[in-house]
Amino acid sequence: MTHNGHQQRSQLIPSEDGRRQWSGIEELSDDPAFQAFVDAEYPAAQTFSPTARREFLKLMGASFALAGLAGCEKSPFVAALPYVDQPGEATIGIPRRYATAVVLDGYAQPVIATTYSGRPTKLDGNPDHPVTGGRSDVFMQSAVLGLYDPDRAQTPTHRGEPVSWKDVVAAIGVLREGWSKDGGEGLRLLVGPITSPTLLRQLDALLKQFPKARVHLHAPAQTSPQRSLTKAAYGKPLDLHDVLEQCDVIVSLDDDILGPGLDQVRNARGWAASRHRFADRPGNRLFMAESVPSATGAMAGSRLIADASRMPVLAEALANALGVPGAAAGEITERERGWIRRAADACGKAHGKSLIVAGPVGEQAAAIWAARINEALGNAGQTLKFTDPITGPAGAGTLAELVSDINAGTVHSLVVIDCNAAYSTPGELKAAEALQRVRTSLHLGSQRDETGALCEWQLPLAHALESWSDARAVDGTATIIQPLIAPFYDVRTTHQILAMLLGEIDPTSDAAVRETWQATFGDAFSTRWSQALHDGFVQGAAAFVEASPISATVTAPPEDGAVDIVFRLDPTVWDGQFANVGWLQELPKPLTTVTWSNVVAIAPDLAKRISVANGDHVEVRIGDRSVTGPAWIMPGQAGNTVALYLGYGRTRAGRVGDGLGYDAYRVRPADRPWLAKGSLRKVDGTETLAVTQLHHRMEGFDFVREVNPGEVVKQPASEHASFYPQWASSENAWGMVIDLDACIGCNACVAACTAENNVPIVGAEQVKVGREMHWLRIARYYDGSIEEPRSHFQPVPCMHCEDAPCEMGCPVHATTHSPEGLNQMVYNRCIGTRTCSSYCPYKVRRFNFFDYRTPADSPTQAAHNPDVTVRSRGVMEKCTYCVQRIEAAHIAADKESRPLRGGEVVTACQQACPTKAIVFGDIKDPNSEVARLKRDGRHYVLLEELGTRPRTTYLARWRDDGSGSGQG
Amino acid sequence: MAQLFSPAADTWMRLFLVGSLSLMAGGTVGIIGFARSAYMTSTDVRPQQPVPFSHRHHAGELGIDCRYCHSNVETGPQAGLPPTETCMTCHSQIWTNASMLEPVRQSLARHRPIQWTRVAKLPDYVYFRHDIHIVKGVGCATCHGRIDQMALTYRAKPFTMEFCLDCHRDPAPKLRQPEHITDMAWTPPTDARAKGDAIPAHEKIRFGQLTHCTVCHR
Repeated sequence: MTHNGHQQRSQLIPSEDGRRQWSGIEELSDDPAFQAFVDAEYPAAQTFSPTARREFLKLMGASFALAGLAGCEKSPFVAALPYVDQPGEATIGIPRRYATAVVLDGYAQPVIATTYSGRPTKLDGNPDHPVTGGRSDVFMQSAVLGLYDPDRAQTPTHRGEPVSWKDVVAAIGVLREGWSKDGGEGLRLLVGPITSPTLLRQLDALLKQFPKARVHLHAPAQTSPQRSLTKAAYGKPLDLHDVLEQCDVIVSLDDDILGPGLDQVRNARGWAASRHRFADRPGNRLFMAESVPSATGAMAGSRLIADASRMPVLAEALANALGVPGAAAGEITERERGWIRRAADACGKAHGKSLIVAGPVGEQAAAIWAARINEALGNAGQTLKFTDPITGPAGAGTLAELVSDINAGTVHSLVVIDCNAAYSTPGELKAAEALQRVRTSLHLGSQRDETGALCEWQLPLAHALESWSDARAVDGTATIIQPLIAPFYDVRTTHQILAMLLGEIDPTSDAAVRETWQATFGDAFSTRWSQALHDGFVQGAAAFVEASPISATVTAPPEDGAVDIVFRLDPTVWDGQFANVGWLQELPKPLTTVTWSNVVAIAPDLAKRISVANGDHVEVRIGDRSVTGPAWIMPGQAGNTVALYLGYGRTRAGRVGDGLGYDAYRVRPADRPWLAKGSLRKVDGTETLAVTQLHHRMEGFDFVREVNPGEVVKQPASEHASFYPQWASSENAWGMVIDLDACIGCNACVAACTAENNVPIVGAEQVKVGREMHWLRIARYYDGSIEEPRSHFQPVPCMHCEDAPCEMGCPVHATTHSPEGLNQMVYNRCIGTRTCSSYCPYKVRRFNFFDYRTPADSPTQAAHNPDVTVRSRGVMEKCTYCVQRIEAAHIAADKESRPLRGGEVVTACQQACPTKAIVFGDIKDPNSEVARLKRDGRHYVLLEELGTRPRTTYLARWRDDGSGSGQG
Repeated sequence: MAQLFSPAADTWMRLFLVGSLSLMAGGTVGIIGFARSAYMTSTDVRPQQPVPFSHRHHAGELGIDCRYCHSNVETGPQAGLPPTETCMTCHSQIWTNASMLEPVRQSLARHRPIQWTRVAKLPDYVYFRHDIHIVKGVGCATCHGRIDQMALTYRAKPFTMEFCLDCHRDPAPKLRQPEHITDMAWTPPTDARAKGDAIPAHEKIRFGQLTHCTVCHR
């Protein structure tokens, strides 16, 4: 069906300065299949044969005839259930908010949780907390769905058979008798990283009762803090705290400081604060040397592509250029030399205001040189602070030691506390086989996962939102975790089960936590306890300590010709613990935009050499172990580096997470968890990945604009003339500005929007045909060559055009204009012609091709926001600017007969964004932040040439890549 | 050549046209009428309730204020059905053995809610809030009718979109002073428009903005 017009249209138009932005490597080739893909708005519709289309029109004709009658549905009489004894503080229908925390890898993620009628529905950052300042990441936003996971373990089991907690207590009593006899010889505990003061106290008490027992630590995801690296660099285990808000220059050696992880919110906030100190130029400069493209690399003004194993060499060369004693210049390429010279020049001028960070792939050598450079530049204590390790338990053994002890037959009882050793362990340790060899094993976990299934007892844990507990944030500030809802399954908290192991019969859920804090708060317990629960944290971060690098000779790992295999945690399912969370599975992963799977990321050159295309299966071999997964050609990846993503290939995650992707743990070496040497080869087989990068494509140019420091974006000569009527505006006029210089593509906004607006999850098959429902997409564009592109992130929600084409297109006025400038979508009026979507030049409208609602009997029903309609099949939906929040604010103001206050309405995406890239507000109020940004020199309108006059507009990125005025 | 059409053909044609036009018009009127009929809007239906609760007795004859039982009405979106406890404030003292109150006593004893049948129900896609309507001077009876005269509660007004919009387009003549909110017998005074206009001026009702879609549909 392709004719000339189409051919013309889908040519990519280079922007004014000759650069051209592209979304996928397919665009760089003139592949006819791709042209057809671009021409079809909904790729799946291509498969319709012409007769099917005629059939479809006939059916639609019938639908039109009956359209009016659908409105004549008689509303049934339904039951209404009042309370028997209504709690005094509850107002039905009004949400209540509590401060608490959810836990990621042992660390607290402080939240304000919203509950409706006692059901938690939404988590947001705690705005008073010193670490997050109210900002979120994807894991925190999605934690609430874990509460309602239908695949959670719901009752204790013994060898897979349901038992009661009485049986558990009885069995523990028998075990304790045995442990008392020999002082706990043969008793081992396997734990993840722990910050909870209560749990650490309970473990100590247990070790006092059974002094010969040992604790082992299993931390598959612990990227930061890297204890072994700090021990090598500073002589003692430390936690490093980057103070990015005070940095003029940041040099990163393959450390994805802005990427997903425990420090993301803190780092992103700090980086954005220093980056946007000035209105007319960027406030800091970021140099990144990296093997695999990352968020940090995308934001870097100066990015060097280097293989992972080059990092120690580069670190030493940088140290040499900065005059650190003992550092040799090393053998580096011309390109590397240039980057190091520029980075060293910048650092040299920023004493005490620069920071060198080294990622785990650089291993000890890079960490040691980074420590010495920071010391030499006077950064230590200024932009880099140290604390003693915040996670415990101190002196724990490793998992490898545990496995060898089990194999030696010295372990007869094992208690696994909330970690999945059978899955997330380097394959060569054969941990799963070892687990089965232990006579008595207890697994404490929220799911009967790979480990739980192998243990004799599986004891289900309560979710953080139904527990009393405590934990520390990354800076050491403690939060007392309070339950928002009584557990709806037969579960217990970790503290309760630990108390059982300590000999208690039926411990209450809060006793252990109260006991811990009684000791801290002393006489003022009741007031300080209430205050801590109210605030969501207890004042007091971990104290900073002094540290200086030790002077040992640095031995860089030997280089050989093999391929560098880099292990990365998955940006959405992390180490695999979130595999069963649909919201996270469907988030397009930053940079790749892959959903529902992991990939083997390889460089374009390497792909060409072994003739591999996206989705072709490749085998990665490390030593005698191998794994096969779909290849992904990653523009801008180092030629000899292959990236494997952990967290997939799970077998007992649940209905959502089972059987997706490949399991990279199988080939992960125990001694080098982040970088290994191996080989890669193409094998038979290929698969279609659920990738979103080519979906919802706009036609035009200059989507992402850049501007040189000191300059402004060229504004159009005059307003376009328009045939559209002028809208009368009411008191408030809503608008949004998105700062592309601040967007790190972290997806927190998309996750927050999903949670706030009941956005459905459609599954991998539907994503493949372009039917993902996210109201907000983070478009990722490249410009430049495939080998060395610059990457941009562009969040695209509904533009709320003042001259909106969709409003003209709708035959039934289901999408209309509000006096406040909102483009309203009325679901109950929509008949699903999808005309609006085809008229929308920004491609932000989403159609419910199927009934994506959760089944009525699913517990996830309770996760819905009751203030937003759950859409049914056949209706269009899109970003509403969180109109439920606007209307709630209006009603609150109207009840007091006052106008809205500035900043009273905050959209979910704006609230979540860690870098404040999204600003929403009243553009009629000249003092509002959004109105101020609309006057900024970097302000521009997306697809301005169309004259749609959108309310959502953008700020251009600073171009500090060296091509502008002397930067970089 | 023989005539193709008989002399009556024109007449048949005209009859057919008139017939089909009137069928279409009649059908349209019929469908609209049906949609607005008491059958479709379920007005005047008195659904079966577990306890034959009489508003006429409690609100009318005894004169208990609406807000004594529907305590949420000024603060929240829903007026709130009274919890069993509220019923028992009186019925633990009077009519303590009445058989028709057995479900109430059972509810309290077993801590199970009474299963009422909801009478005033809006579709799920309508986000109605009681509190803002009360604050701005919409009386209970405006939407719920003469509750004080209903032995068994029924839907007095058709909760159609037209019913809501009539008021949202021009609320002034239907508004009342706060002291009359629960007054069942209140009727608009002869100078309703002038009096009504004073209320929104004072209460800052956002005229002209109450009819856009997202006010009710989100």
